[in-house]
Amino acid sequence: MATYEKKKCWSVLFRLFHWMYALSIVTLCITGFYINGPWTNTMIEGSASFPMAFARFIYFTAGYVFAGAIIIRTFLYIFGNKQERVWDILPITPRNIKNLFSTILRYAYISENHEVRLGHNVLAGLTYLFTFVVAIFMIISGFFMLFPEVATWQGIGTAVFGNQQWGRYLHHLLMWWFMMFALIHVYLCIWNDVKEPEGIISSIFTGDKFLHK
Amino acid sequence: MADTVNTHLDPQLNRRGFLKGVTMAAAALGLSEAMIPKMVEAAASGERPRVIWLHFQECTGCTESLLRSSHPDLARLILDIISLDYHETVMAAAGHQAEHNLHETVNNHPFLLVVEGAIPTKDNGIHCMIAGKTAMEILAEVAPKASAIIAIGTCATFGGVQAAAPNPTGAVGVWDLVKDKPIVNIPGCPPNPVSFLGTILHYLTFNRLPLMDKLNRPLFAYGRRIHDHCERRAHFDEGRFVEQFGDEAHQMGYCLYKVGCKGPETFSNCPAVRFNGVEVWPVSVGHGCIGCTEPNFWDTMTPFYDRLPQVKIPGTGIVEDADNIGKKVLGVTAAAIGVHAAVGIGKGLIKGKSSHE
Ligand code: HEM
Ligand code: HEM
Ligand code: SF4
Repeated sequence: MATYEKKKCWSVLFRLFHWMYALSIVTLCITGFYINGPWTNTMIEGSASFPMAFARFIYFTAGYVFAGAIIIRTFLYIFGNKQERVWDILPITPRNIKNLFSTILRYAYISENHEVRLGHNVLAGLTYLFTFVVAIFMIISGFFMLFPEVATWQGIGTAVFGNQQWGRYLHHLLMWWFMMFALIHVYLCIWNDVKEPEGIISSIFTGDKFLHK
Repeated sequence: MADTVNTHLDPQLNRRGFLKGVTMAAAALGLSEAMIPKMVEAAASGERPRVIWLHFQECTGCTESLLRSSHPDLARLILDIISLDYHETVMAAAGHQAEHNLHETVNNHPFLLVVEGAIPTKDNGIHCMIAGKTAMEILAEVAPKASAIIAIGTCATFGGVQAAAPNPTGAVGVWDLVKDKPIVNIPGCPPNPVSFLGTILHYLTFNRLPLMDKLNRPLFAYGRRIHDHCERRAHFDEGRFVEQFGDEAHQMGYCLYKVGCKGPETFSNCPAVRFNGVEVWPVSVGHGCIGCTEPNFWDTMTPFYDRLPQVKIPGTGIVEDADNIGKKVLGVTAAAIGVHAAVGIGKGLIKGKSSHE
């Protein structure tokens, strides 16, 4: 019988970030779909129902939560604990490069070897980093559409996207990345939770993981 | 005041028409009515700025809409507050005489340059030639001497339809070629004559160009999105949409968002200033905005009757709706996850439970 040690892994701020991020993305995808393709519910005019205005209000609220989450993550990438910092997942050290390949082999069912490691595995970490970059694009295109008259957003948005329509188009396309990510991410969390006794899922609620002594 | 008007301006333009035109421009500029006398004074001062109007790759629609605006006063006002020294469509001169007029103004007087049409740059610009010279050469000759440049229409500003992919003639807008002159962009296909008149009157009254956005479009005309001051906006917020042209919702005048209206992505004063003196604009007559005042509009705003551009996968000829592709990719992802899970379970069954204990 192996013994396990409970280890602190994720700070409160990190867990706050995760749930702000996850919940806002789900909200943004659902309301975003409505904004993309609304339908006519009632032809009664003056019925004091404002489905589009309401959906956009919920949507923009979630947009701010999302942007707030990204600000928190930026802070944690630099000033977070060891597992949260960006260096922990960049494949620039021998330890991380080795972990990247061993994770790929393990996910492909080629090897059973699970490296004990407190933070993310490097494959996961890189996917999160990529998603972080996509999120910044969402924020730039989002605020470009939200505040088109503000000189700063107009300047950045026009330089990056050319016009509003192209910003909107890329914004919409990139949404599909988040949906794919969420699907794979939740699956792999469950997969890891089934295979390993670390308690990876509960770690995102409690902050603790269980490692071999 | 009436006298100055009558001595300096076309007698056909009566005082009433004159004031009406100036008032319209003042309203478009968002100026207080207290400014109107100043503007009238400036417009009637008799110091009519010389204007050279160059036509390149274009359809002359901008000129047409200016001259045939059903406010005859407006067109006449424009032609009367400026001295149009060279304009291929309306000038009486032709051939060498026309060329002479052009050079006379360019070399000896301060002038405003108005450009209508894109400038082709491929193959040394041979795709548009006037009097034996390419558009590029003419622009390079005239532009440096102009006090300011007004690019009118989407072609002169951002290249317009000529610049649509694959842009066979390498068409570009004026500001892509001329870097060291104040340039006002007045895009639109065609732009509203009032936006042009407002810019000229602003220049005459205040001696400087109006405030502009990052694309050099005057803020008084392009400061807001169409969607943010559209008369169908209440239907948008309250969730009533046209599904198809001609359906009941269309007859009821609902929002045109789902049939491809680009009002949410387009900056222009169309809903406020409207066209042709009969107070219409596309959305008011049941057709969505096509986004003609925006850069690359031909490539990014099409399909005109869909909300978003389609995804073109290079090298495969695949052109498809973004969401169809998204759904397929997501489906493949879900299937891959299913296979991955099945393999894991299968392996577990064959090998027995791997032990951590
Ligand atoms: C039931 C839902 C979810 C659960 C149980 C869950 C669980 C977890 C766990 C356990 C981790 C840490 C994994 C590791 O150590 O590698 C994590 C990280 C992460 N999750 Fe989730 N998650 C959920 C939903 C989502 C959703 C919907 C998103 C966004 C689309 C998301 C985005 C992320 C990101 C970006 C990280 C990495 C954080 C970072 O280091 O930047 N999660 N999640
Ligand atoms: C993962 C994050 C996000 C997702 C999945 C998402 C998704 C979407 C979708 C699907 C649309 C509809 C586009 C269309 O088809 O017309 C949209 C529009 C929009 N998004 Fe986002 N978005 C995200 C983040 C943001 C953020 C952070 C902001 C900034 C506040 C933002 C602001 C906007 C705005 C202003 C619109 C246009 C809405 C309108 O004009 O009615 N988005 N988004
Ligand atoms: S018709 Fe077009 S501009 Fe008007 S509210 Fe609808 S989408 Fe916006």
